[in-house]
Amino acid sequence: MPYRIPIGPYHPALEEPYKLQLSCTGETVQAVEIEVGFTLRAIELLAQRRNYVQDIVLVEHVCGICSNVHATAFAMAAEKIAGIQIPDRARYIRTIMGELERLHSHLLWAGIGSEDIGFRSMFMEMYYVRESIMDILEVISGNRVNYGMIAIGGVNRDIPDPKLILPKVQELRKVLENMAIPIFTRNATVKSRTVKIGPLSKQDAIKYGVVGPMARASGVNIDIRQDLPYAAYQDLDFKIVTSEDGDVQARLVVRALEMLESVRLIESALANMPSGPIRIDDPFPTIPAGEATSRVEAPRGEAFYYVASDGSDTPLRVKIRTPSYINIPAIPLLCVGQNLADMPLIQASIDPCVSCTDR
Amino acid sequence: MNEIVRGIVAFLLWPGLISAVLLAWFYLWLGRKVTARLQGRQGPPFFQPFFDFVKLLGKKMIRPTGINMGLFLGLPLVSLISVLAALALIPAPGSTSISFPGDLIFLLYLLEMPALVDILVGYVSRSVYAQVGAVREALLSLGHNLPFIVAFIALAIQAKSSNLQTIVDMHFSLVQIFAAIALIIAIPARVKANPFSIPNAETEIVAGTHIEYNGPALAILELVHGLEIVALSGLLASLFSGMVTGVLPSLIVYLVVSILVVIFTSLLAASTARVKVQYALGFYWRWGALAAALAVVAAVM
Repeated sequence: MPYRIPIGPYHPALEEPYKLQLSCTGETVQAVEIEVGFTLRAIELLAQRRNYVQDIVLVEHVCGICSNVHATAFAMAAEKIAGIQIPDRARYIRTIMGELERLHSHLLWAGIGSEDIGFRSMFMEMYYVRESIMDILEVISGNRVNYGMIAIGGVNRDIPDPKLILPKVQELRKVLENMAIPIFTRNATVKSRTVKIGPLSKQDAIKYGVVGPMARASGVNIDIRQDLPYAAYQDLDFKIVTSEDGDVQARLVVRALEMLESVRLIESALANMPSGPIRIDDPFPTIPAGEATSRVEAPRGEAFYYVASDGSDTPLRVKIRTPSYINIPAIPLLCVGQNLADMPLIQASIDPCVSCTDR
Repeated sequence: MNEIVRGIVAFLLWPGLISAVLLAWFYLWLGRKVTARLQGRQGPPFFQPFFDFVKLLGKKMIRPTGINMGLFLGLPLVSLISVLAALALIPAPGSTSISFPGDLIFLLYLLEMPALVDILVGYVSRSVYAQVGAVREALLSLGHNLPFIVAFIALAIQAKSSNLQTIVDMHFSLVQIFAAIALIIAIPARVKANPFSIPNAETEIVAGTHIEYNGPALAILELVHGLEIVALSGLLASLFSGMVTGVLPSLIVYLVVSILVVIFTSLLAASTARVKVQYALGFYWRWGALAAALAVVAAVM
């Protein structure tokens, strides 16, 4: 007789409220039901009642971790409708912001994952290095969470001095190469919790349409930065990171190597940053009637925006499809047949952003 | 009459209630401080475990409905009294405890009570998290008890007696070393420290068996946890304190070894992730049993 055990909506393993209703026999999970929608804010509806400048601020609040991604995607869609070409320097600054955001998001995830397997020392270390990334973001934008960097037609603030950023980013590379990656791949207790846990085959990954590091860890070679380069990615020679193993360990390694790639992208972008204006001259460009989609690689995968305009200052429709929304339905697949003890880490391994999912 | 007075002194003063509670708070602080410093944090102030205890004692107790309150409140007390009695039996240097044949077996039973109570409170709480915690506690005790008990069997064979004082006083040999290794392997799981913090895994089953406990009842359970650390590290230390003569030197050895055990447990906890219960059982039945078996072989030879 299976018993039911709820994880969530409020549980120490979850950052944000959503619910996994597990049915277990002994410590083996037999079935999983997922409930989302505890933090619905109706952002799509609100976006249709505010003008484009206000909407940039609004969509940044879709997520507290990948806020820059949402603003970028929204601005890109609006720019596409209006046919705006943003200045080169703005493209590079958007790339740097996106990669810094990916770094702090992946570090946050590594911390949460460590906490979920009871490895509190690693949690402390990851949050300690994450703090230096947050400091960089604060130096650049003046904010730690919602940066307010993106404007339609460019960015709001310049990066005046690359020297402020470079040493801290290089420091992070050292921490990753010398400490984090060896511990996550060699510590016996970590390996016992991650290797062959929560497997997702390539076929299932394609069938469920998972995106981001989740898909790449199962051997699916997709990344918007490679497939549909935006911002400055085509100039920087982006290299995709994939793994064939499809387990939690693979997701860990993919994210860790992606962080190294982000560090390289930031260094390269800072070194090659062109001079010039950071946004177009018109601060409030008119968005003509039309519609457009945009896709951006968020830390968790592809973020998709659809914006329709009727020529007024308010969008007719804003549709937001976030990566967690795509990935969360795959959780039952990963969980069934696994141990109850592994549930926190398996659900964390897809890096669910509930605030994105609920919008 | 004299024997009764000595027993009461051992139960209440040294190594029992008062000194053990002070040591428990000190060890809890030490463990937390060592872990914090390793993680680059400041760590708690010296009196924090005492403050925690007093704060919990002063809290209003929330009584979950549908629970047998007699068991709910009585079990922590049973646990407390058992562990205090166990402490009174430990042959610490300068202890006035009464030594009697077979006190080793009595001690082992008393030390088993906190784990047994944890299993029972898990079922009494009627929370699904607590029940999973109770199952895990029961499974884990099958693991750590193997090296723990076999180590004492080896010592008893060597001393040809099941009297604790005889065991402590016997000539130091290989048996004590292997027994100490088996004990130190068993201690992290007995005090539910990482990587064996399986029954109270916070991110998996919230607070495990203690989930419904709050206020004074939780204070007692937390105190029992501290006292268990004192009892187990003291038991291990008493194997070594017999090496030196005189009460003061052996007392110093006793405390130093106890502190080393606490530091070792904290170091281990800070450098590991929590393992799964199957892995823990495998570890104890392989390596714990090996250490204990070596102790037995050394004792028989």
